[in-house]
Amino acid sequence: MKRFAILGLAVLLAAGASGPALGQAPIESELALITPVSKFIHDAALKAFADYAKEKWNVSVKVSAIPAGTPVAYGRIVEWKGKPEVDIFWGGESALFEKLAEQKLLQKVEISREVWEAIPAAIGKPRPIPLKDKDGFWVGTALEPYGLVYHPKKIQRLGIPEPREWDDLLNPKLKGEVAQCAPTRSSSSNATYEVILSMYGEDKGWEWLRKLAANTGHFTARSRDVPTVVAKGEYSAGFAVPSYMAFEEKLAGFELKFVAPKNAFVTPEPMAILAGARNPKAARAFIEFLLSERGQKVFMERGLFPITPKYKVQGPPGSPAELAVEFTGGVRSYFEREVSNVYDEDVAQKRSDALKQKFRTDIESTWRKP
Amino acid sequence: MSNGTAASIRSHARADRLLPALGVGVIWLFLLLFLVYPLMRILYDAFSDDAGRLTLTNFVEFARDPYYLRSLVNSLLLGLGTVAATSVLGFAVAFLLVRYDFVGRNLFSYLTLIPIISPPLVGVLGFTFIMGRAGTVNVLLEDWFGLAKPVNFVYGLHGVLLVEALHLFPMITLNVVDALAKIDPALEEAAESVGARGWKKLVTITLPLTTPGYVAGALLVFIWTFSDFATPLVLGVHDLIASQAYLNIVQFVDRRLFRMGIVISALMVALAVVFLVAARRYVAIKDYSSLSYSKIARRRLSPLRQAAAIAFLSAVMLLSFIPYLGVGLASVGKGWSLTPFPLRYTLGYFERVIVETPKYIVNTFLYSALAVVLCVAIGVPIAWILARTRLPGRDTLDGLNTLILAIPGTAIGIAYIRAFHFDLPLVGRGLTSLWIILPLVLAIRRLPYTVRGSYASLLLVHRSMEEAAASVGASGFHSFSDVTLPLIWRGVLVGSLFSFMTSLQEASAVLFLSLGGWETITVGIFSFYIAGSANEAAALGVILIVVAAVSVTVINRIAGTRMGGMFG
Repeated sequence: MKRFAILGLAVLLAAGASGPALGQAPIESELALITPVSKFIHDAALKAFADYAKEKWNVSVKVSAIPAGTPVAYGRIVEWKGKPEVDIFWGGESALFEKLAEQKLLQKVEISREVWEAIPAAIGKPRPIPLKDKDGFWVGTALEPYGLVYHPKKIQRLGIPEPREWDDLLNPKLKGEVAQCAPTRSSSSNATYEVILSMYGEDKGWEWLRKLAANTGHFTARSRDVPTVVAKGEYSAGFAVPSYMAFEEKLAGFELKFVAPKNAFVTPEPMAILAGARNPKAARAFIEFLLSERGQKVFMERGLFPITPKYKVQGPPGSPAELAVEFTGGVRSYFEREVSNVYDEDVAQKRSDALKQKFRTDIESTWRKP
Repeated sequence: MSNGTAASIRSHARADRLLPALGVGVIWLFLLLFLVYPLMRILYDAFSDDAGRLTLTNFVEFARDPYYLRSLVNSLLLGLGTVAATSVLGFAVAFLLVRYDFVGRNLFSYLTLIPIISPPLVGVLGFTFIMGRAGTVNVLLEDWFGLAKPVNFVYGLHGVLLVEALHLFPMITLNVVDALAKIDPALEEAAESVGARGWKKLVTITLPLTTPGYVAGALLVFIWTFSDFATPLVLGVHDLIASQAYLNIVQFVDRRLFRMGIVISALMVALAVVFLVAARRYVAIKDYSSLSYSKIARRRLSPLRQAAAIAFLSAVMLLSFIPYLGVGLASVGKGWSLTPFPLRYTLGYFERVIVETPKYIVNTFLYSALAVVLCVAIGVPIAWILARTRLPGRDTLDGLNTLILAIPGTAIGIAYIRAFHFDLPLVGRGLTSLWIILPLVLAIRRLPYTVRGSYASLLLVHRSMEEAAASVGASGFHSFSDVTLPLIWRGVLVGSLFSFMTSLQEASAVLFLSLGGWETITVGIFSFYIAGSANEAAALGVILIVVAAVSVTVINRIAGTRMGGMFG
C-alpha cells in the first residue's frame, strides 16, 4: 500500500514537473521587486500586471514587493551579491543604477525596440535628466517632480501667503513648522538639497539649507512621512515631496496642497532587472506592460506623469486623472512644457558623500528643535 | 520468544539513556546555532574591519564622534529617567492593588496589564493622534482658548519618556505584585512588634523584600527603553543610540555608517550583558523571599481614601489608554486633520488589511504558532534540566536563557542577517531567504517565557512524585512525560501562551529579516506607516491589540495574578 502511495506521489511529481514545459510558459509565475516607490503605486502596478498576465497568457503571477528606502534597497542588492531575492529594482536616483551596473549586478533590460525608442533620451534644460540608460541597463517608467507641500488651513492661521517658491519656506513665521527628511535617508531629499546647492552655489546653498533647518520642526525618519505629518496638520509645510505621495494623501481625504517650484527635480523612476533574477521573463514582461498605455494609466491616475510624449494625463471630469492634473498645477505631460533643471548627475555623484557628511556635521548634529 | 523480550527491554533501556542525551544535545545545538553563533558574529563584525582584520578602530571612531557620544548620554539618561518614572508609578499601583481593598480593585488589576500589550509603534502613533501638535488635545485648546501655537506634548525626549513610562510601568507593577505576594507576613508582623510601622516598616522591611522582583522589572524597563527605535523615530528624536543603530543599519549605501550601526548593536548587546550580570549579582545577595505565595490580608480603605485611590488609578489608566483611543479613532477615521475627532468614518482600512491582504494575519499566526511549538519542544526540557538535574553547563543554560531577555531584537535581527546569509548545502539558498527563519528567530526571542513558566511550576511539583514513579521502574524520561508533565501543564501553557502573545508582537528582529510575502502584522504596521498609510497601520494595530487582550485574559484566567514571575 505504502509503495503504491509513493509511486502515485512520484507520478504526480513528474506530472507537475513536466506540466509547464509542455505548455511552453511565456513567463514565470512569480515576480518580486524591491522599491522605494510607495505601496500606493507599486501595489497598483503589480496588481494591474497580474491581471494582464492572466488575460494574455493565462498565467497567475504571484507578485510581491519589498518596500525599502533607496539606500536600503541599494544596500540589500549589493549584499545579495548577484543572487538576489527579487527580480526588479525600481525607483531612486539613476546614478545608483549605474553604480549597480558597474558592479555587474544588473542585466540589460532588453525590451522591444519600439517601446524603448518611444522614450526620449533626456528631458530638461540647462541640464538634461536622462530617462533611460545609454547602455541599456535601466529604463525610466514615469515622471514625477519633487516639490513642496503645505496645509492650507495652517498656512492661513499663520497669516502668510501660500508658498510658491523654495524661498517661501524660509519665512520666519514658519519657524518650527516645516517638516523634512534628512538627505542621508531619502533620495528625494538628497536630490532637492542638490538642486538648492546648484541654484545658489556651495556656500550660499548651505546657508540656505541651514536657514531651512532653523525653520524645521521635525526631521522625519522616512521621506514618505513628510506629506503625512503635513496632511494631518502636525506641521504646516513639507520639503522635497514626490508629487504622487502628496496626491495619495489628497485621495485619502486630506486638504493637502502641492507645488513644484522652479527647478524642482523631475525623476524618471528608473527600473532595472537584477543580474541572477529568478524570473527574468516575467520581469521583462512587467516593464513592457508598465510602458504600454494600460501600464502608464496606472501611473497617470495616481499623480505621476507619462514617460513618453505618446500619452497625456486626461480623463472624464472628476476622474482621478483630472484630479491629479488639478492637484499638480495643470500639468498633463512634461513633454509639453519647458522643464527647468539644474541638477547635474555628474556633480551630484561627485559630491554625494561630501553632501551627506556636511549635512551630518553642519545640520544634523547642531539642529535643536525650535 | 523470551530472548526477544529481553533484547527489547535492553534496547529500551538503551533508548532511555540515549534519548535524554540526544535531547540535551539537540537543545545545546539549537542554542549554539541560533543564539550564540549570531551574537559572536556581530561582535566579530564590530571588532574587525572590512578586510576581516581584528581592530578597535570602529570603537575609537564611535568615541571620537561627539554626536554618537551625545546619543549615548541621551539614551542612558532616558533609560534612567524612564526607570525612575515607572518605579514611582509601578510601586504605587502595585501597593494599592496588593495591600488594599476598594471598589473596582479586580477591574483595575486587570486593566493594569493592558498598556503593556500595546504593540511597538502603535502606542506612539496613538499618542500623536491625541497629544500631537494637531492632536485632539491641541485642537481643543486652540478652539476653546484661541491658543495660537500648539503645545508640544510629545515631540522630543520628554515625549519619548512619557510614552515609554506609560507603556512600561506595568512591568514594575507585575514584578512588585509578584514579590509582595511572596513576602512572608511574619516578617512584617515581626517589624510591627518591635515598633516599626508605616513608612519605617515600608522602607526597612517591605521595600528590601521586593528588591529582587523590582530589579528584574527595572532592568527590563531600562533595556526596553534603551533599545527602542520606533518610538523616538516617530517623535522625531534621532540623537539616541537605538535610533542611530536603526538609521545606520538601514543606511547600507555608506559602508562606514553600516559598520557604525553594527558597532552600536554590539554595544547594546555588551551593555545588556553588563547590566544583567550586575543585576543578578545584586539580586542574589538580596533574595530573601520565600518561594511560596502567602495569603494576604487586604486593608479595607475608608470611603474618602477609596475615592482617592480610584481617582489616582483612573488617571493613570486614562493616560495609558490614550494610545488605544488614538489608534482606534485613526483606524476608522477618514481624512482626520485639525478636528478633535474624525469627521468621516469608514471601515475601508479594516477591509484592506483583513479581506484584501489577509497575509499579515495568516503569517503572524502561522509563524507564532510554529515558534511556540519550538519554544515548548526546547523550553520545557530546558526548564526540566534547570529544575531537576545537575548536568554540567546548567548555569550557562540558565544564563543564556536570561540573556535572551536582555538582548534587543534589533541586535538579534542584524546578527541573523550577518550570520545566516550563506548558501545552505542541499538547499542552495541561504537561511535568510527561507521564511522558516522568522519562526526560528521568534522562537529564540520568546523562549525564556516558556522556560520560566515551566520552571516555576516544576518547582511547585514535589520531587517525591517523580521519585515514586522512579521507584516503580519509570526511567527519568518516562517519569517526566507520565508524571511531571501532567502536573505542570498549567505553567507550560501559561509560559507558551506568553511566548505566543509576545511573538505576535515582535517587531524589531522580524523587521530586519522579513522579505516580500512574509509580512506579519507588525511588519505590516511598519510598512503601512512608512508608506504614509497611518490608518491601515492603525487598523492592523487594533487587530493586534484585540488578539493580545484576548490572550492576556486567557493567561490571567489560568495563572491568576502571578504573571509577574514571567518578566523577571
